[in-house]
Amino acid sequence: MKKNRFAFRSVGAASVAAATMLAMMSASSATPKPHFTGAPIKIGISLSLSGDFSADGLAFQQGYQLWAKDINAAGGLLGRKVVLDIKSDASSPVQVVTNYKTLISVDHCDLTFGPYSTLLTLPSAEAVQRYGYAMIEGAGGGPSIFQAKLPNIFDVTLPVSYDMAPFAKWVSALPTATRPKSIYYVTSNDPFTQPVVDTAKKLIGSSIKSVGYTVFPSEATDWRSIADQVAQAKADAVVLGSVDVPTISAFMQAFEQAHYTPKVMIATAGPDQGSSFIKAVGAGNADGIMVPNTWYGLSANPLSQKMVAEYVKQYGGTAAGVNADIAEAYTVGETAAAAVNATKSIDNAKIIKWLHSGAVTNTVEGTVSFDKIGENLTQIAYTFQWQKKGTTFVQVNPVGNKNSVAVELPKNAWGK
Amino acid sequence: MVHALIDGVLTGSVYALMATGLTLIFGVMEIINVAQGIFVILGAYLSYYLQLHFGIDLFAGLLITIPTMFVVGIVVQRLFLARLKGPEKTAMSILVTYAISLVIEGILNIAFTVNNVQLNTSYTNKSFQVFGVYIPYIYFMGFLLAIVLLSGLYYMLYRTRFGASIRASLADQSAAALVGIDVKKVSTICFGIGIAVTAAGGMVFGATNAFNASTSYDLISRLLTIIVLGGMGSLAGALVAGIAMVTLEDLVGAIWSPVWSTMAFFVVLVVVLSFRPQGLFGQQSARAA
Amino acid sequence: MSTTSTSIFSRPANWIWALCGVLALTFPFYETDPAYQQIGVYTLIFVACATSWNMFSGYSGYVNLGAAVSYGTGAYTLSIIAVHTHPNNLPGSASEFWLIPLAGLAAMVVAVPIGLIALRVRRHTFVVITIAIFFTFQLIAINASFTGGTGGLSLPYIPWAASYFDVPFYYLALAMSIFAIILSALVRRSRFGLQLLAIRDDEDRAMGLGVEVGKVKLTGYVMSAFTIGMAGGLFALLQGQIYPQFVFDPLFDISIALMCFFGGFGTLVGPVLGAAVLESSQQYLTVQYSNGSLYLILFGGLFLFVILFMPQGIVVFIRQKAKQRSDQQIAAAAAAGSNA
Repeated sequence: MKKNRFAFRSVGAASVAAATMLAMMSASSATPKPHFTGAPIKIGISLSLSGDFSADGLAFQQGYQLWAKDINAAGGLLGRKVVLDIKSDASSPVQVVTNYKTLISVDHCDLTFGPYSTLLTLPSAEAVQRYGYAMIEGAGGGPSIFQAKLPNIFDVTLPVSYDMAPFAKWVSALPTATRPKSIYYVTSNDPFTQPVVDTAKKLIGSSIKSVGYTVFPSEATDWRSIADQVAQAKADAVVLGSVDVPTISAFMQAFEQAHYTPKVMIATAGPDQGSSFIKAVGAGNADGIMVPNTWYGLSANPLSQKMVAEYVKQYGGTAAGVNADIAEAYTVGETAAAAVNATKSIDNAKIIKWLHSGAVTNTVEGTVSFDKIGENLTQIAYTFQWQKKGTTFVQVNPVGNKNSVAVELPKNAWGK
Repeated sequence: MVHALIDGVLTGSVYALMATGLTLIFGVMEIINVAQGIFVILGAYLSYYLQLHFGIDLFAGLLITIPTMFVVGIVVQRLFLARLKGPEKTAMSILVTYAISLVIEGILNIAFTVNNVQLNTSYTNKSFQVFGVYIPYIYFMGFLLAIVLLSGLYYMLYRTRFGASIRASLADQSAAALVGIDVKKVSTICFGIGIAVTAAGGMVFGATNAFNASTSYDLISRLLTIIVLGGMGSLAGALVAGIAMVTLEDLVGAIWSPVWSTMAFFVVLVVVLSFRPQGLFGQQSARAA
Repeated sequence: MSTTSTSIFSRPANWIWALCGVLALTFPFYETDPAYQQIGVYTLIFVACATSWNMFSGYSGYVNLGAAVSYGTGAYTLSIIAVHTHPNNLPGSASEFWLIPLAGLAAMVVAVPIGLIALRVRRHTFVVITIAIFFTFQLIAINASFTGGTGGLSLPYIPWAASYFDVPFYYLALAMSIFAIILSALVRRSRFGLQLLAIRDDEDRAMGLGVEVGKVKLTGYVMSAFTIGMAGGLFALLQGQIYPQFVFDPLFDISIALMCFFGGFGTLVGPVLGAAVLESSQQYLTVQYSNGSLYLILFGGLFLFVILFMPQGIVVFIRQKAKQRSDQQIAAAAAAGSNA
């Protein structure tokens, strides 16, 4: 699941933290400092290297740096070297605007890539729009981004609202015998979580009887009373709009305390966090839990496999543990490179025009192609599930995809 | 409904414990300790650290964390708060304790990162059934802990000599000094006690909520609301308002929507204060300054 | 604050005011970089807010930790009207700017009932109530539908080029700051200002002397909301997008109070100095060290130092030192005279 987080807490991308330390050290030596103007192509980026979004900001930094290293190893862009100019915005929408202004007007960057999170993407996109720059980004997929209808926004990742579409399709099409009889929707009012659950609810429609729809505030930390309410409804299926591991772990805990096990359970964020999720809920309880995602480390896409292998070589860890942020950032670079190569220039007006032309680029996240408002609807979302007593995390949707395996149904009772 | 009521009373007692520390500090020293929220989180992180690195059980760990927080309180009081005097003392105390809370927040962010954590043990997933309602052990044990500590505190206040001098200082500092009470010593120890209860409150909070350092903002706004509603400096007020407010919050969440439950908290405060500016149990009238 | 110190400082102080004025007026000419111009705009927004806050809290002693209620109300009022009316956004014109005074008025209207409730209680209870009311407003902004909820509101895009964009904002913020400073100076010299100061010294005595305490406090509180509300409106226009937790920001409440205490609580120059120093250095530090946690520790440490060692703020501290020195000089001169 994309972690286009809005709220007051940070998403647990703890697994990245250690690798990030290494990245920051090696990065300074890997990317030459842009003292010489003219020759290199400078790319300006503001990232949240501290504050609420720092875990993801640091992961994004790694993804951008990995891309820059690769493109330079392949001879750069238009024969020119690519250098990244990264500034920290401490997750503040005021600072992020200052940073992009500085990147363009003081540092004279040629291109701009997006910051982390939708929250910061919109003000930054407006700021660079005043300079006629394109804002190519991978972490700003909330509805508000596209409602603004800015001509310079290009989000390479599938808009968040569509994340649960394959799940909705699968669950609605189950034979009557195995299909859940009732379903409960409960979601944080985080602007990038609620749309996912709302879209799933719309797509499932009347094929499963909805027994409840509860919205809880994104700043809540005590979820027990809300989870209790859900448990009392005793629905066969639960669609949870969680924002991180603690949210879903609290719900699972409360369900277990109330001796209620849904047959099907999917959550927007948390189960995708690998070991930190298993550590919080226990492998046995994780079994059967589903989560949507647009990308993951074991993806069969050859471009993706190449990037993952490089990432693991450079930063350590396992392929399955690679954060989706890395791929999102890498895809931004690939998309920009395609535009620069196709237009043979770093003229932002030409780049914007090309990106709007409907041209398709193959990237680590799959295909990228933009509509009028900068959405990439060509990408497909997947659903993953923890299986075999929580020991494996596998792709189960879309049904029919060559990498999808059968869904484990129903979910085992808690504590087994 | 029944669920929400039980949840409210169980959780509310823990808030009452934390608020009692806050109101005690205010009553004796006229200091509004805005850092109470971060001290609760500090207490929670201490339990977290002991469990993670030394495998010490959450409840057993209190034997270490409570005295630790007591000492932290005394150091803070001696270093910073004892220096405050003059007519702006209360206003200044808010700023000083706020600054302290910023520093602790920064340190906690560096030490533990900003990722949310929650305290987990073998018994946090277990529950027992009463009248058809499942009650998690951790909530019940937290409730018992709060009751035990509150009873201990009340016993100390109402049955011991030292307690009598605290109560005298609560009522009137200068009169207490006149009858030979060492107000300075009483103040320091009171501050220590007020902070020490956050170790227990923090442990239970951390076992029932996900937290990071910035959770302290949410906590302190609730705690302040509770003591203002109960009447600042009133021990009974903190107890009653703590339980009542949290129960009300849970009821609103169950009946209406969780989105508005926190709001109920503040609305009640504003309504009550429009009729009783001194709070529910406030003894002093609404005199100025 | 005594008359001797003002007489000693009257001439240099005037010089400093004039110099600051010229520097501030010409800033966009010698600093053409939009990034630094933006820092200038934010610094001025805080100068205006801190001065306005001090005009009530500093003079009356009622520390308001809910100034963001006015700021957020201003920002939301302007944004909601702009979003619903879609002012004709012809290039070069931006009719939303006319909504700024309206944002200030809305903040005043909201301040009336809050003041009626919150000002009935004692001074330290007032602090806590302002915090509670602040959180109530933040919650409404986060959860209501007319505010756009957690997604906030996007204002119509103002199609100005980057090289020009900040300049009008800069001068508006400057105008607001000057307005706030003049208003604060006028209040301080008026009968009404004296009544506020009397309340700060001893409210019971002020009441005994016939000051209509309730009315005076409410008037001061509502007046101070005006400029803060306008500043909130300006901020919304400048950002083009507002989120509940950034316009109803507890750090805003605290920053404003800190700026005033840092500079000099209840003085005229203090808030200006405090806001100018703290806001610009904050922006600088964030860019330089880009470590939020380290910044918190530095900021908190500085804050503690100032409160404990210069409890009346820098302005008063400098004045006292200067007075001590001149007293010593006079004493030394007198001693020298008697020796001769």
